[in-house]
Amino acid sequence: MKPVAFEYDDPRTVEEVLDLLAEHGDEAKLLAGGQSLVPLLNFRIVRPARVIDLNGVAELAGVREEDGTLRIGALTRVRELEAGGQPLVADALRHAGHPQIRSRGTAGGAVAHADPASELPAVLLALDASFSIRSARGGERTVAARDMFVGPFTTQLAPHELLVEIAVPPLPPRTGAGFAEAAPAHGAFATAGVAATLTLDEDGTCAQATLAVLAATATPVRLGGAEASLVGRRPDEAIDDAAAVAAREIEPMANERIGGDYLRALVAELTRRALREAAA
Amino acid sequence: MTRREDVAFLQGTARYVDDVAVPGTLHLAFVRSPWAHAEVRSVDADAARRAPGVVAVVTAADLEGLQPLRGQPHIPDLETEFVDTPHPLLAVDRVRYAGQSVVAVVAESRELAEDATELVAVDYEPLDAVVDARTTPPANVVFRSAESAGDVEGAFAAADATVSASLHIPRLVAAPIEPRGLLAQYDADDDLLTITFSTQGPHGPRRVLSQSLGRDPALIRVVVPAVGGAFGSKSAIPPEGVVCAWLAIELGRPVKWIEDRLENFLAAYQGRGMDVDAELALRADGRILALRARVVGDAGGYLYPQGAMLFQRSARMFTGAYDVAAAAVEVVGTATNKPPNGPYRGAGRPEAALVAERMIDHAARELGLDPIEIRRRNLVRRDAFPYRNALGMTYDSGDYERCLDDAIALLPLDDWEARRDASPDERPIGIGVATIIELTGGASEAAAVDVDEGGRVVVRTSATAHGQGHDTTFAQIAAEELGVPLEQIEVVYGDSSLVPAGIGTFGSRSVSQAGSALVEALRKLPRDTRPARSEATWESPPLFSSGAWLAVVEIERATGRLNVLRVVAVDDAGRIVNPLLAEGQVVGGALQGLGQCLTEEVVYTEDGQPLTITFGDYTLLTAAELPDLETGFVETPSPWNPLGSKGLGESGAIGLPPAVAGAVADALSRFGVRHVDFPFTPEKLWRLMNP
Repeated sequence: MKPVAFEYDDPRTVEEVLDLLAEHGDEAKLLAGGQSLVPLLNFRIVRPARVIDLNGVAELAGVREEDGTLRIGALTRVRELEAGGQPLVADALRHAGHPQIRSRGTAGGAVAHADPASELPAVLLALDASFSIRSARGGERTVAARDMFVGPFTTQLAPHELLVEIAVPPLPPRTGAGFAEAAPAHGAFATAGVAATLTLDEDGTCAQATLAVLAATATPVRLGGAEASLVGRRPDEAIDDAAAVAAREIEPMANERIGGDYLRALVAELTRRALREAAA
Repeated sequence: MTRREDVAFLQGTARYVDDVAVPGTLHLAFVRSPWAHAEVRSVDADAARRAPGVVAVVTAADLEGLQPLRGQPHIPDLETEFVDTPHPLLAVDRVRYAGQSVVAVVAESRELAEDATELVAVDYEPLDAVVDARTTPPANVVFRSAESAGDVEGAFAAADATVSASLHIPRLVAAPIEPRGLLAQYDADDDLLTITFSTQGPHGPRRVLSQSLGRDPALIRVVVPAVGGAFGSKSAIPPEGVVCAWLAIELGRPVKWIEDRLENFLAAYQGRGMDVDAELALRADGRILALRARVVGDAGGYLYPQGAMLFQRSARMFTGAYDVAAAAVEVVGTATNKPPNGPYRGAGRPEAALVAERMIDHAARELGLDPIEIRRRNLVRRDAFPYRNALGMTYDSGDYERCLDDAIALLPLDDWEARRDASPDERPIGIGVATIIELTGGASEAAAVDVDEGGRVVVRTSATAHGQGHDTTFAQIAAEELGVPLEQIEVVYGDSSLVPAGIGTFGSRSVSQAGSALVEALRKLPRDTRPARSEATWESPPLFSSGAWLAVVEIERATGRLNVLRVVAVDDAGRIVNPLLAEGQVVGGALQGLGQCLTEEVVYTEDGQPLTITFGDYTLLTAAELPDLETGFVETPSPWNPLGSKGLGESGAIGLPPAVAGAVADALSRFGVRHVDFPFTPEKLWRLMNP
């Protein structure tokens, strides 16, 4: 379990990274926290000719707030997000691996790696986050979370592009959030998880809901049917129905070790739990 | 008293085998079979030999004259039909499990060696694989034995009731945090081969190396550095280790093989792996009249390091802590296309405890008796020791009912029974009990003691610490016996050139056997302050510790998640030298036992492809999963050694699983479930509760 030999770059600025990607993007991998890339290198599942280390690019790290929007630098450690800022993010990231992993792992790395079982992409999807992406040739573009995740371990990012920032808009007034996950053990990969937000009208009915599922599906997905089923109803009357809709609408990622019917049942229960927490 | 050896471990200064850096060391990597079963038609290693940094590429043809590895085939006094199936050092013309080593590549770095393994072309002709030990063809039977005592047929004919059950106990990996590894160095001037090896005792590996290499054991030195856990999985030298040693001699340079996690999952021997059909003959009052059982052991591709031994010994303990007059067991081992079977924490004892405890639970349900009451009616009584069980194992000492009483007092049982009875179908609660025996001790260990003019005492023991805390425990034994401060005692272990020969540290034997040898050596010293030296060995039959475990679980019907709400354990390991370390053994074993309950299972496809090859596929529990666990101790001294000690190292792995299994069956009884095999994964439990 030793990686194939590769060239190593240690840039200091985003501009340098973009130049390296413009030249070598097709054959390079970006190293952030390394919590996913390094095992993949060691298993020789990925065999990049170059590894571009982002850890020296100070401008990529850190969280700031701008008009209520949380702007998270791609190199911000997961542990830092867990410790403060957005409550749903913090709640979900407690489930992301072990503390040692979260101390190294980064927000941008979790998004760009797009492991279906990863907590952060699903939470960002539920929060209608967006991603700032830069490249030497194309300048900067913004991709909504809804459009970002196209398949297992696959995003909209092109080989010459760099994810630089994650923007999390503020939650509307009278909005609660909840997160529920099932995993074989603390720190293990999730079997399924659901992130939820629930916005109430002044009369206590649901004005809007967001629901995103992780691990049970090939990519993090929004549960549009379940979200719609909640609108205009009181949460305590609508949550069980929403859970049932969620179970029906997902395409479960079953395999030889886990059944699709179980994943549906699990998503129903986790939807129920996440919504109850959001409504509380 | 806290462990005095921990500073180096906590500060990261302890030296493990991979930390031992010798200039000029070469590194070893293996080409491993991608097939579970295949003929090896040819090997083309020319490109690998020309690759950068490569020093040698070796196949089985280069190892002619070396002996393949044979384990202890079967219990010596038990007549056994046996097919000699040694493990080749490298595959000769056939591979029998995916991951078996076929070609060895030696290079200037591990990276270069791995690069070169990709250039080796092996022509395989795949063959059908045999994976499920229960359905193997008759030709795959590699050992068979049967023994019985008492009138088993008569007991079944006269029984008021009988119960029967089939249990499947999956294979597990030991998964020590440090995988296996060794550094081999050869000194041509002295013709001395020195092996720095992450193992559980220096003398056993030296003997196997001597046999395989055809080398005088006096010309082999085995040094054990700091060891990052073993749990039985480092008791034997692996084939790769022998190849590494041979290469160091052939090449005249140090050669290192540090197993990585993938290799450990693919090729390290695996524990458990046993199917049991068992029956009990019962009297209406719950007394067990006879046990009958058939064992199918999943032997894997080769009978090394153990063969039939663990399965046969396990079967002799199927009557557990209960007084059963008649028993008959048949043990069959079947070859499968998987790595060999070998010892893992408990090594046959957890399997036996599961059989005994599940069967008596079935008996309780069949007869409408309380699970605790039926145990009381069958436990070996405190005045019956030494007690010889039906299949010839002699239990030296114990007070099984007292352990049970103490455990019930810790729970407390009445409150939990009320909570269980009131628990809703959406969250049923179950209570399980296990009254277990633990085969410990046995065979010989040795000690040597030197006292210098200053009164400093050097203790050399054949036991070899790899996490147990021998440095503290053996110093305590010596300090107490001599009446000198602990700081005056130095403890030396893990070097065949320094310590007297013994078996090593496994099977919960170190305090009772090596500790007793130490006491004997200390008692030979003159009772004054003169410099002196003494040596002693200690040998005894096995000693039987015991314990009572109670577990309370709750299962979420919506998700199938199992929550362990409370566990209490009262163990009797005779005299306890260090209570903190004793509790640590129980707690650590319990967490490993809980892993067997909840998540752990080695999984292969029908073609013999392993699906559990990373910690992402094979979930180990961490301290975060430790349930509310309370321990207690009863000290019934063993009459068979000067310390009065019995062993404790496997108690948790033996006692917790059947207690939790009983609790799960209890919780699911309202769903018509009688038995569930390990592991209790959420999906499995969900299906049982939501049919």
